[in-house]
Amino acid sequence: MKISLRDQHGVIELDVRADGDRYVVEIDGHTHEVRLHGEALVVDGHQHTVATARDGQARLVAIGGEVHRFEPHSGAEHTMEHVAAPEVTAPMPGKILQVLVQVGDKVAVGDGLVVLEAMKMETRLSAEAAATVREVRVAAGDMINGGQVLMVLEYGG
Amino acid sequence: MIKRVLVANRGEIAIRILRGCREMGLSTVAVYSEADAEAPHRAAADQAVCIGPPPSSESYLNITKLIGAAKHTGADAIHPGYGFLAENAAFAQAVIDAGLIFIGPTPAAIESMGDKTNARRMAVAAGVPVVPADEAPPTEPAALTAAAGKVGYPLLIKAAAGGGGKGMRIVRQAVHLIEAFAAAGREALSAFGDGRVFLERYVERPRHVEVQILADHHGNVVHLGERECSIQRRHQKIIEETPSPAVSPAIRRAMTDAALAIARAVNYRNAGTVEFLLAPDDSFYFLEVNTRLQVEHPITELVTGIDLVQAQLRIAQGEPLWLRQEDIVARGHAIECRICAEDPAQQFFPSPGTITRLREPRGPGVRVDSGVAEGFTVPIFYDPMLAKLAVWGETREAARRRMITALRDYVILGCTTAIPFLIDVLEHTAFSEGATQTHFIAEHFPKWENPQRHRHIAAIAAAIEAQRAKQPSAAGTSGPHQVATPWQTLGHWRVGEA
Repeated sequence: MKISLRDQHGVIELDVRADGDRYVVEIDGHTHEVRLHGEALVVDGHQHTVATARDGQARLVAIGGEVHRFEPHSGAEHTMEHVAAPEVTAPMPGKILQVLVQVGDKVAVGDGLVVLEAMKMETRLSAEAAATVREVRVAAGDMINGGQVLMVLEYGG
Repeated sequence: MIKRVLVANRGEIAIRILRGCREMGLSTVAVYSEADAEAPHRAAADQAVCIGPPPSSESYLNITKLIGAAKHTGADAIHPGYGFLAENAAFAQAVIDAGLIFIGPTPAAIESMGDKTNARRMAVAAGVPVVPADEAPPTEPAALTAAAGKVGYPLLIKAAAGGGGKGMRIVRQAVHLIEAFAAAGREALSAFGDGRVFLERYVERPRHVEVQILADHHGNVVHLGERECSIQRRHQKIIEETPSPAVSPAIRRAMTDAALAIARAVNYRNAGTVEFLLAPDDSFYFLEVNTRLQVEHPITELVTGIDLVQAQLRIAQGEPLWLRQEDIVARGHAIECRICAEDPAQQFFPSPGTITRLREPRGPGVRVDSGVAEGFTVPIFYDPMLAKLAVWGETREAARRRMITALRDYVILGCTTAIPFLIDVLEHTAFSEGATQTHFIAEHFPKWENPQRHRHIAAIAAAIEAQRAKQPSAAGTSGPHQVATPWQTLGHWRVGEA
């Protein structure tokens, strides 16, 4: 069975075949023999202790102190990386303490946009590049969710 | 004699204190907010009392509710833990006024050390060196700029009333002074209910070294050596160790003498910590006194074998100190890592969530002080610390390797933590050489990304899971290994175009 997974570094294509009590897995042009023993994943005879959990569509895998997050990959992939997103989103749930800009303001790299508080810490979000503020969707005192769009910028301003 | 202790705190520290009480045969009371109804600390006591809604101002900081809970359950003593009301003199006084024992220093000592400008003056009077500062800077911009110029840049803006990095800002250039001053004041006001801040010269590349003290009600004071807490992010400690790799016997003697002098000067009682900056030229400066049990107390316990929580309880009930200074001998080396719900790849932003998988490390010399369990949703209302991992080894190198091994074994899924980052710090040459200082992370890890050493193996694990979800009768689902596999619990996983 062909499986496409995506993490923050890109897409990984695998081919997984069940073969008796083992699996034959092809990844990156290499073929591996894989067995499951309790919490160990045995890849070509080398044992790895692995723990997994589900997070919505995604799978989390803990191994050797690392945590990997894989989403199922559908093939239609946009390459948006390394382009600053025009939406300024909340990195975590919390509360807006202060909005430092207004619609129409021009901001430079590092200029403060909004101050928020979560888990007792005050955090300032700053512009990643020179931009013009197009929309401000929150006000001081608002409770916000992680990932919520706080304002929209137009870069290059 | 204390019979029943109410612990006015939550998370790992509540659990740790409750355990200490139980070991002494005392009966225990936990308190919890509505957000913590399922929190492990709630279940760690003989009784538990709900003290109000999620915001800490309405629960863990509510003095009336806490005293009421103690009265209602017949507790005769209250342990405040750290954070929340631990360094609130009014709380300590309210506990005493209610006829209960406050397990900690006197309200007077909390008050005099809690005001950092006052603490500085007392340190100066006790002959202990301090950093140049302006204790009461003017707020009017021009006057503030002039006052800051006198202290000298770089400078640090600090909350007069608090600690833990809240209300603290470094200012390197005068142009950033006014905004930083206002932000620090706001943060101090929201964290401590007191917006006063002061200015202090910033010592470049210092180490943060602190001395643990214990004092009884009969005038006896001892120290339990130092802890180095230089590895910090957001001005908050993340890795601590004892002994400090930079503290020679001569520095230790001078620094512990200074700590004892300050403790005596304020007639200190119970457990406390005197914090110093240690400069690269071996000079040191008094920073502040933390009038409480410290987060990082386990490493002192590991090297001295002294249970600090039980020492606090015995001192609080009036026992004369049973330890002479020469009885306190540190052996080996201990390191602690704070395990927080935070993302080291995103400037350590808090990252609350539900813990879907949890496996804590164990083994010789490995101690986990945990406040969470599998299935627990970390509330957004409180500090993001989930647990502390502390290890002991015969040497610093043995402790370092033991910590790395334990971190590799630690599984927390559902909340992002700094575990992979902590491994990278401990494996860094500068750390193994003991070249730690408070800029360590900014200097050695200006940008950090999650390591990808095991990416392919992890992808294989995820892919096999996906394959099994589609074909539930596939290999490995039968046979003797069935019960133990982590793969069993997976339901249907829709995979993109297979």
